[in-house]
Amino acid sequence: MNAIIALSLFGISNLFLGFLNNRKILLPATLVFILIALGLNFADWNHEYYWFNNMLKTNNLSVNFVTIILLSTFLVVAISRSFGDDDEHSHPAEYYAILLFSAVGAIMMVTFENLIMLFVGLEILSVSMYVLTGSDKRSLRSNEAALKYFLMGSFATGILLFGVALVYGATSSFDIHGIAQGVAKAKEQMGGAYGPLLYSGVILIMVGLLFKISAAPFHFWTPDVYDGAPSIFTAFMSTVVKTAGVAATYRILSISFPSVYGLWGNPLVYIVCATLIIGNITAVYQQSFKRMLAYSSISHAGYLLITVLAKRPETNSSLLFYSLAYAIATITAFAVLMVVSEAQAKNGKADESFEALNGLANNNPLLAFSLTISMLSLAGIPLTAGFFGKFFVFSDAFSNPSSLFKWILVIAILMSTVGIYYYFKPIIAAYMKKGEVAKIELSPLYKFILILTTTLTILLGLAPDLVKNIF
Amino acid sequence: MSLITLIPLFPLIGFLINGIGFRHVPKSLAGIISSAAAFASFACALTLFLGFNGQPQIVHLFDWITVGTLNISMSFQLDQLSLLMLLIITGVGTLIHIYSIGYMSHDEGFGKFFAFLNLFLFFMLLLVMGSNYVVMFIGWEGVGLCSYLLIGFWNKNSNYGNAARKAFIMNRIGDLGFLLGIFLIINHFGSVEYSEVFSKIAEGGYSSGDKTLFYITILLFIGAMGKSAQIPLYTWLPDAMAGPTPVSALIHAATMVTAGIYMIIRSNIMYSLAPETLDIVAWVGLATALLAASIGLFQNDIKKVLAYSTVSQLGYMFMGLGVMAYSSSFFHVMTHAFFKALLFLGAGSVIHAMSDEQDIRSMGGLRKKLPITFITFLIATIAISGIPPFAGFFSKDEILAHVFEHNKLMWAFGVLGSIMTSFYMFRLLFLTFFGEFRGTEKQKHHLHESPIAMTAPLMILAVLSAIGGFFNFPHIFGGHASLAAFMEPLFEQSAIEHVAVDESLEITLMIVSVVAALLSAGVAYFIYVVKKTVPVAEGEETGLQKVIYNKYYIDELYDTLFVKPITALSNFFREVIEFLVIDLIVEGVGKLVKTLSSEVRLLQNGTTGYYIFAMVLSIAAILVWSLKSFLLG
Repeated sequence: MNAIIALSLFGISNLFLGFLNNRKILLPATLVFILIALGLNFADWNHEYYWFNNMLKTNNLSVNFVTIILLSTFLVVAISRSFGDDDEHSHPAEYYAILLFSAVGAIMMVTFENLIMLFVGLEILSVSMYVLTGSDKRSLRSNEAALKYFLMGSFATGILLFGVALVYGATSSFDIHGIAQGVAKAKEQMGGAYGPLLYSGVILIMVGLLFKISAAPFHFWTPDVYDGAPSIFTAFMSTVVKTAGVAATYRILSISFPSVYGLWGNPLVYIVCATLIIGNITAVYQQSFKRMLAYSSISHAGYLLITVLAKRPETNSSLLFYSLAYAIATITAFAVLMVVSEAQAKNGKADESFEALNGLANNNPLLAFSLTISMLSLAGIPLTAGFFGKFFVFSDAFSNPSSLFKWILVIAILMSTVGIYYYFKPIIAAYMKKGEVAKIELSPLYKFILILTTTLTILLGLAPDLVKNIF
Repeated sequence: MSLITLIPLFPLIGFLINGIGFRHVPKSLAGIISSAAAFASFACALTLFLGFNGQPQIVHLFDWITVGTLNISMSFQLDQLSLLMLLIITGVGTLIHIYSIGYMSHDEGFGKFFAFLNLFLFFMLLLVMGSNYVVMFIGWEGVGLCSYLLIGFWNKNSNYGNAARKAFIMNRIGDLGFLLGIFLIINHFGSVEYSEVFSKIAEGGYSSGDKTLFYITILLFIGAMGKSAQIPLYTWLPDAMAGPTPVSALIHAATMVTAGIYMIIRSNIMYSLAPETLDIVAWVGLATALLAASIGLFQNDIKKVLAYSTVSQLGYMFMGLGVMAYSSSFFHVMTHAFFKALLFLGAGSVIHAMSDEQDIRSMGGLRKKLPITFITFLIATIAISGIPPFAGFFSKDEILAHVFEHNKLMWAFGVLGSIMTSFYMFRLLFLTFFGEFRGTEKQKHHLHESPIAMTAPLMILAVLSAIGGFFNFPHIFGGHASLAAFMEPLFEQSAIEHVAVDESLEITLMIVSVVAALLSAGVAYFIYVVKKTVPVAEGEETGLQKVIYNKYYIDELYDTLFVKPITALSNFFREVIEFLVIDLIVEGVGKLVKTLSSEVRLLQNGTTGYYIFAMVLSIAAILVWSLKSFLLG
């Protein structure tokens, strides 16, 4: 948990490093900071600690989630290329600092023991994201996205906060274990029935969190914001924010409200199905690679929520494995997207359509190959990590005795076949379409990250138990 | 890292170096790297063998897949069986690698060849070292792949490509059986680990003739039929001779084709409880042994004769397995690896000298020009014909003695097979090395003994073929049957009845088969040396000879029975079903999704107010729905 303190200090020191007028030092410094935080995080392994007067709690599950969050942050920072050479309009020191701060928020969201901490963490993360979304100051799209995100995000935060207040009214506790006891006590007193206070509170908390992980019908902000934000921050949003959001949802629903499963489970079933259908079906029609990735991230929220819903003993490890596989593949995809769209820029505007990828494989075999592997993984093709991610999720759902899950599975599997359609578009463009992409010069670090993520994706697809046993 | 892990690692590294660096690694280095990798594995295996204390050892590398209660791990098992297989594979493998440096020296794909050879070795080692059926299956498929790649190594010749395809497809048929067998094992025992499955059987009180075990064993045997070329899946092996000769020696004689025997010995506890399967195994083995031997009688291609001989010898091994003479069969695997590798390498040396001529009708009198090849080939011929004191005699007679206890008729057929073996082998020897040279002047001029890289492995294998029998020297000659004793723990759990064979009877049986072999060698001498008969030219055979020369028209039979109907069916599917059914459905679904997508997309209209409205509406709906009990009272 010292990672939180360390990351906050590192974020501040990053701001000071910004005065040095030496942009070159920022990137390596931030990477080192994240690695140190990762090391501190591992120190909590195999211990159950409460921190800051029972505000936060670390255990192996949270250490694993934090690892995925920090790993994703590391990868995103590593492919950020110091945010270009545009001194006037980009502020790398601030961006890196904000990324570190938002990582702190994300960590709080996976370790909270008290709803106050959940709220604080969520807000740290969200406010950082509003800022970063609008960081491309001269771009109208970026500004519009930031404003939209802010408007809708504060709306969702309000709903979450309202839910917290109602739950407090029903159970008189902010502590997630305290709430669980409160719910049990209410059950005793009311003879099995709960008041509308608790009912509404649970639903509103859930909705507030589902907004953050862009589950339908609370997903509307996602395509616009993901599309408008600078790609590097979209990569961060669709991995770190999503992982933290799902972890927080899972944590509160499984710890505080397992005894009222029917209450949140029933609507969640429809939300999961709607998310899968809307995410996948809408992605089919997209012409922009980046926008397709936004819809893809909606659909993956659906798969992730299946595990939350399935409530199996294996859920922890399936959730972690899926998040990891998804994060790695998504970051790879964005890494390719960023360099290619810049290289194909027309009139100074990055070209993020599928057409920009046409003929990529001719001069850039590494980029094309990494892209292919990441798309295969997202589509869930065997021998990639994504396949086993889906496999574990589906087998969790399958082993749930309720017959409802068979229907969710049918939808999930149908929708993942729809997924193959649009995930193959970039591959087809890169290898089969005629086009010309000049050779793109990549820095050694960038190459290393591409090779690393691609290797990891294949490795986890060959031997999933390498990490699944840790989870 | 333990020595056990290193064994498969060396060939893998060799493969990576030669495979990735193909065209960059200098030719002189490629062969040495590969041979060194093979030898390093051999050294590790030998060290482990010498330090082996009789206790099986399992090295767990990592858990591969865990699903529910099924855990499939990547782990190796070192016990008597895998140790012996390791020694054979790496030992013979090393010799053949060295031989290949000489044999392939003029070939363009030199580096590629060695990369494949190393890859083969890696998969073969996985096959025998795995501690569960899945790892065995990985190796099993891997060697199949390498066999395909190496048969079709000279892929510019489309016939060779076809031979490779045939081998692959035939093997796939067997693999399907193996795979189903594994599924059945998982379904029934919930594990694929040898130790767990076998102990469950041992403790589970399975009675002899259990139905599940029958199905499992028969499915596994189908796998073995494919890989070890038994009836009806044997026809790929003779065609596989299209590959370079060292490949024939290593893959299609000494190692890969014995994988089926390895698998059955590994699963002996199941087979011992399935007497029906054992009967099938024994009769299929016998039928294969006789059929292949009879085809071998009239073949004129030096490698084809050896190929049919291999099929026939594998038949003997299965016959031995079928009568539960597991260690005898394994003994034959071992001696066969020595003398058959030697025969193939000798044949390779001849072919090398004859500038790629393989027809024995064009050879003759080579013993003066190729003295080392001749002597080693002679030793191997004597060994395979079962004439004492060379290796084949001991192993084959051990099998035949067990068969005799089991079924007298089967024994008689077995002896008939060994008469044929002796005949076709001596026919081959006499036609190749005796008499006058029958080739062209140019070939005659070119004749030369092979370089030391090729003759050295020949000599080592010749020594092993000569003395190999003493590894399991039988009791009646005052030996200790040390191989059988060493392998004893493998069969502890399967109840094998040991009927003590009457000593005088055993000696009588031996004398009968030795005399028969010698007589048939004598007949061959009379026909091909004294009378100087040369087989007639292509197309002039008559009667039975013609039928046999054309391999009983089995290939044509398969073609009519399976290939043509399947082709017709697939044409039907392509022209009718695909067009009318598949296309309609697939394209229909595609269109539907696209239409849906273009409609659903419109929900995303970019207006924040509308988004928030939709959210609020959804929340309200959920709340109303959840709270309906309160609202409606």
